[in-house]
Order: sequence, then C-alpha cells, then structure tokens
Amino acid sequence: MLSVKGLKANVGDKEILKGLDLEIGRGEVHAIMGPNGSGKSTLAHVLSGREGYTVTGGSVTFEGQDLLDLEPEARAHLGLFLAFQYPVELPGVNNTYFLKAALNAIRKARGEPELDAVSFLRLMKEKLKVLHLDDSLLKRPVNFGFSGGEKKRNEIFQMAILEPKLAILDETDSGLDIDALRIVADGVNALRSPERSVILVTHYQRLLDYIQPDYVHVLAKGQIIRSGGKELALELEDKGYGWLGAEEAA
Amino acid sequence: MKATPGNGFAPWLPDDGPAAATGLAWFDSRRAKARAQVRDQGIPTTKHEAWRYTSLTRLLEQGFTPTAEATTPLQPRDLEPLLVPGLDAYRVVLVNGRFIPGLSDLQHLPAGVRVGGLAQILKSDPDALKDRLNGVVGESQPLFAALNTAGLDDGVVVLLERGAQLERPIELIHLSVGMDEPRVAQPRHIVVLEAGAQASLIERYVSLGEALYCTNSVLELSLGRDAVLKHQRIQTESANAFHIAGLYLSLGAGSRYQCVTVGLGAAWARTDLNVRFAGEHAECDLQGLYLAGDRQLMDFHLDVDHRLPQCSSRENFKGILYGKGRAVFDGRVYVAKDAQRTDAAMSNRNLLLSEGAEVDTKPQLEINADDVKCSHGTTVGQIEPEQLFYLRSRGLSAPLARRMLCLGFAGEILDCLTPDALRDQVAEQVGSRLELAPID
Ligand SMILES: Nc1ncnc2c1ncn2[C@@H]1O[C@H](COP(=O)(O)OP(=O)(O)O)[C@@H](O)[C@H]1O
Ligand SMILES: [Mg+2]
Repeated sequence: MLSVKGLKANVGDKEILKGLDLEIGRGEVHAIMGPNGSGKSTLAHVLSGREGYTVTGGSVTFEGQDLLDLEPEARAHLGLFLAFQYPVELPGVNNTYFLKAALNAIRKARGEPELDAVSFLRLMKEKLKVLHLDDSLLKRPVNFGFSGGEKKRNEIFQMAILEPKLAILDETDSGLDIDALRIVADGVNALRSPERSVILVTHYQRLLDYIQPDYVHVLAKGQIIRSGGKELALELEDKGYGWLGAEEAA
Repeated sequence: MKATPGNGFAPWLPDDGPAAATGLAWFDSRRAKARAQVRDQGIPTTKHEAWRYTSLTRLLEQGFTPTAEATTPLQPRDLEPLLVPGLDAYRVVLVNGRFIPGLSDLQHLPAGVRVGGLAQILKSDPDALKDRLNGVVGESQPLFAALNTAGLDDGVVVLLERGAQLERPIELIHLSVGMDEPRVAQPRHIVVLEAGAQASLIERYVSLGEALYCTNSVLELSLGRDAVLKHQRIQTESANAFHIAGLYLSLGAGSRYQCVTVGLGAAWARTDLNVRFAGEHAECDLQGLYLAGDRQLMDFHLDVDHRLPQCSSRENFKGILYGKGRAVFDGRVYVAKDAQRTDAAMSNRNLLLSEGAEVDTKPQLEINADDVKCSHGTTVGQIEPEQLFYLRSRGLSAPLARRMLCLGFAGEILDCLTPDALRDQVAEQVGSRLELAPID
C-alpha cells in the first residue's frame, strides 16, 4: 500500500529525514516510536504534502502512485489521512459544514455520489456515538476553543467519517487521560479492516496496550534504525532509546 | 453646463434638473444654502483628512449628470431575480433613486406606521418634513450631504409613531439600471422611530447588468426614547457603479440601534456612518463586512459622537481584500468631557489574500472623560498556511479551502444578518466572489 524508499527531506538547509525506508502492507498497523526531534512529524508531514519541506532524495508510492507528485487534497482523495499532532483551530468554520464538504470532495474525486444533508447527519450521529462525543461538537467551529483532548478526539472523529485507507496518527495519544485514550483506541480499532492500514506515531507503549500493532519501528535521527514486532515496544519502554544509540535530540 | 472634471460637482446640480426651485420656500432656501456650501467647499483633495486615502478624481472623471426621468418600464417580474428568496417584508423599491409605487408592496402596514415617497410627501404634506429634512444632518453639511440636499430628487420616508411595532422588516431596494449617459441619483431617506417604536430595515443596493452610474444617498435616522431599530445594508452593485452613502443617526435615551453593513459591489464605494447620542443609556452596534478586488475601492468612515454619559457603542468591521483591491477604514470615536461611563469598543480586522491588495486602517479614540471603558484594535493579516493545509489534507481543493477560511473570518458579521434567508444569500454572494478571486 505504502512504500517509502530512501526518503530524504530538508527543512531549509537542515536535513531531517536521512534516507528512510518503510513498507506498509494492506490491513497492517505500524507503530513508529522515537525520541523527540527524531523526525516523526516531519515524516507525517512529508507524506501528507505539507509545504515547507524539500524532498532531496528517495521515493514514496501509495496505492501505486507517486505520492510526492500530488497536491495534499489529491493524497486525501487517494485515501491518506493525517491526524495532526497539533490540530489547527479554524475559527468561524463550522465542524459539520467542513466535514460534509471534505467527505463530498473525496467522494466526488472518486466518482461516487455526494451525500445529501440527511444521510450525512445520520453518519455523523452514528460516529459520534462510537466515539462518545457530544452532539454539540457538530455546531462548534473546527477545533476552536477545544481542549487538547477534544482536539485529538475530533481528529479521530474526522478519520471515522472520512474512512481513509491509510491513517497516520501523529502522537494522537499524547496528553490524553485514560478514558480519552480508550476512545481514541476504539476509533482506530473500529476502522481496522483487511483493507485499511494505520501508522501510529507515538512516544508511549501505553497506546499499544489498546491498539495492537503488527510492527514497531524506531525512528532516530531521520532513519528507521530498528524494526520488530510489538515486543520491541515493551523493550523500549524498559530500556529507553539509549541502547539503540538514539539519544533524545533536543 | 457640460460635464467635465474641471466643473467639479456643478454638473450634478444643473438649474433645470432636480435641483430646480420648487416654490416651497423653506425647502428652496435650504437647497440654496447647500448649493453654496458645495461651492465653498470646493473639491476636497487627499490633503483633507476625510479624503486622505480616497481621491475623488475617478468619480469626477465619469461626468455624471442627474436625470429627470421619474418612471421606469420595469415590471414586478423584472425584480424577481433580485429578491431574497423567502424574505417576507414590506417592500419599497426605488429605481435610479426614484420611488416606484408600482414595484413596491406596502399593503397591510399597521396603524401608526407611515411609509411613502419623499417627493410625493414634499408635495402633499411638506410640513411633515419641514423639521425632519436635515434635522439630523444639521447646518454644517459635509460635501456629499450638501450635494444631496441641493440636488435630492426623491427618497423614502418611514415614520413609526410612539410605540408602533413592525412584525415584518421593511426592505428598501435601491435598484439601478443603466441609462443613456452616466447618471447620478441623490435619494434622501428619512426614518423616524418615535418613543418605544420597533422596526427592522433592510436596505439593499442592487443593479441590473454592469451599469455605470452613481448613487449619492443620505439617510437621516432618529430614534426616540427606548426605540429599537435593526438596520441592515447590503451593497452588491454593478462592478462599474459609484456608491456614496451618508448615514446620519440621532439616538435617543435608552434607544438601541444595530447596523450590519455589507459592501461587496461597486467600483468605488464610500460610506459614512455618523452617530450622535441624543440621550443617555443608548446603545449603538455597528457591524461591517467588506470585500474588495481588482479595481474596487471600499471606504468606510465612522464618526461616533459620545457627547452624553452612559451610552455604549461597538464598531466591528472586517474586510477581505484580493487582487488589487483597496479598502479604507477610518473610525473615530469621540468621548466628550461629560460623557462619563461611556463604553466603546472599536475593531477593524482585515484579511489580505494577495500582495497587490491594500488597506488603510485608522481607528481613533478621542477620550476627554476619565471614567470610561474604551478600546480599539486593528489587524491586517493573511490566511495562515497551516489552516489552508489542514483543510487541504482533508480533501478540499485550495480555492474551496480558502473560501471556507474567508467565510469563517466573515462569519461573525454574516451571523448578525437576519432572517436566515438574508444571511444565506449574502454568505453565498461572499463565497462566490471569493471563489472567483484571483490569488496573487
Ligand atoms: N519548520 C521547521 N523549521 C525548522 N526546524 C524544524 C521544522 N520542523 C521540524 N524541524 C526540526 O526537525 C527535527 C525533527 O522534528 P519533528 O519531525 O517535529 O520531530 P518529532 O516529531 O520526531 O518530535 C527537529 O530537530 C526540529 O527542530
Ligand atoms: Mg512530532
């Protein structure tokens, strides 16, 4: 589904990703762990097409297409979704209006019929229930005035509505209490299917108690330096990153 | 007299046009005075504070002259595409500045409410206007008010007697259509709400086609004790139009006035809002939204005069500029020495979508009292790239994402529009203008 080969990327003159390889198959859940500043968010941003990064080497294919050639919206149309580490506040932009436009833009790009207001509302209500979110979320401006936890849950809510083929969750677990963490995990587990894949970027083993990954990778200094099964996460919890030669960068 | 820029505004006031003597002594003498004021003021240049950012050259170059025509071949069905779907209102229609009863719908006005054409009332019941016409504008008239006094041809009079209440809004449609030559119309509106009266007024400025014309309208409004008025102004005129509007307000004790003004159209638009408190505990809320793109100028001047204690005013204006669009916001709040416990807050925020766009913003507070709560703030910013990326990462195209963010920025003002039918139409108009807007 996703194939990253020798990916190098700069911010300005600074090289952040230094030849990164990653293969994600259909239906798989991969955890990416690593110290602060190792390049996890940079990877997520480069994959989703954020401006400000220069790719200086390597390739990324997603669903058989050269991902790096595509505009961010075209990547979303292909089925890529990023749950932001720091979700952006959009004052004045109504959550329902925004999500309906997003879903219909994706459906339209795929040649599917747009959802009318009634079916969309039904879909929203159903997903809200699954995620234990309050109805009032629908009327509020996107992320505006949300608590940290609400923002993260709103990301998962959007993911649930848009049903991406590959979801990248960038530290969605940080700053969540145990109840919120469970809700986020439920949202991800509900999305899991043989067709859909997930990249969980996380700092903590904690999330992996609720979402069982198929693979765990350690990202340090812009490269994947170790890959393994979920026992690798436990080992990291125990020993930290030091034994891998990957100290905290910052 | 030939219409050339060298003649200044003289061509607006030919002796045989609407400015001709009427035989009504008080009226003719006021006009003569106004005409002298126009002459004495000359043509303000950008050295005049009120015209510092806005040159009159482009306006004068058009060679506008008034027309004697007071009728129109338009039929009610011609209006249909210009209406707000689902808006239930008493309707007053002016075509090129003239009140057209055949296009208006004033049936079932309740007792104590009078709505009619100014020209007609000047003929049939001039005494009703004697104390009203220029009653709020006053003796020393700024240029365009003086021009309007000297050359006014018609307009609308709305009078609500003590305690009268209107359930439905009054919709005042200023429709302009192209004429054989570039024409100027100078309507004068007089709106009076006596003590305790309540009403809602929706002014809409619209055009047929891409007509070139000028409207110089003056609205005099007085609210009696505890009267309440919601006033909405939606300007979506032709891209060739010149729009000049002067609002002169006198707010009585305990009265509440809200104005929501939206400027989207016209090539050159200048709006002056002059507010004078005439009693204590009055509230004035001015909300504004403007868009300006290539070859467009939007100029708003606010002058809020807190001469009496314990009144409050809000001035909240937002602008979105794109292409080579230009805007001016000049807001002045004056608090007199004795106007203690004044509460005033002024804000002007602007979003620039392109390098070529420009805004001059000048909020001023002049405070002479010590026990007051006053604030002002102004911002000029751009769309945040993070916000744009967030939306695009969800599958929205860049133009759609930009439109959504701009509507989010404007939403605070758009949400003041009522009923929803009006809000939805204006939001749609704002949105479609933004979608067409060239970026950089
Ligand atoms: N926009 C930026 N400008 C400058 N440096 C950046 C920028 N974004 C990321 N970096 C740097 O890139 C490195 C990796 O950052 P990031 O990908 O956010 O790490 P992680 O998500 O693993 O904590 C850090 O050293 C960070 O300072
Ligand atoms: Mg990060």
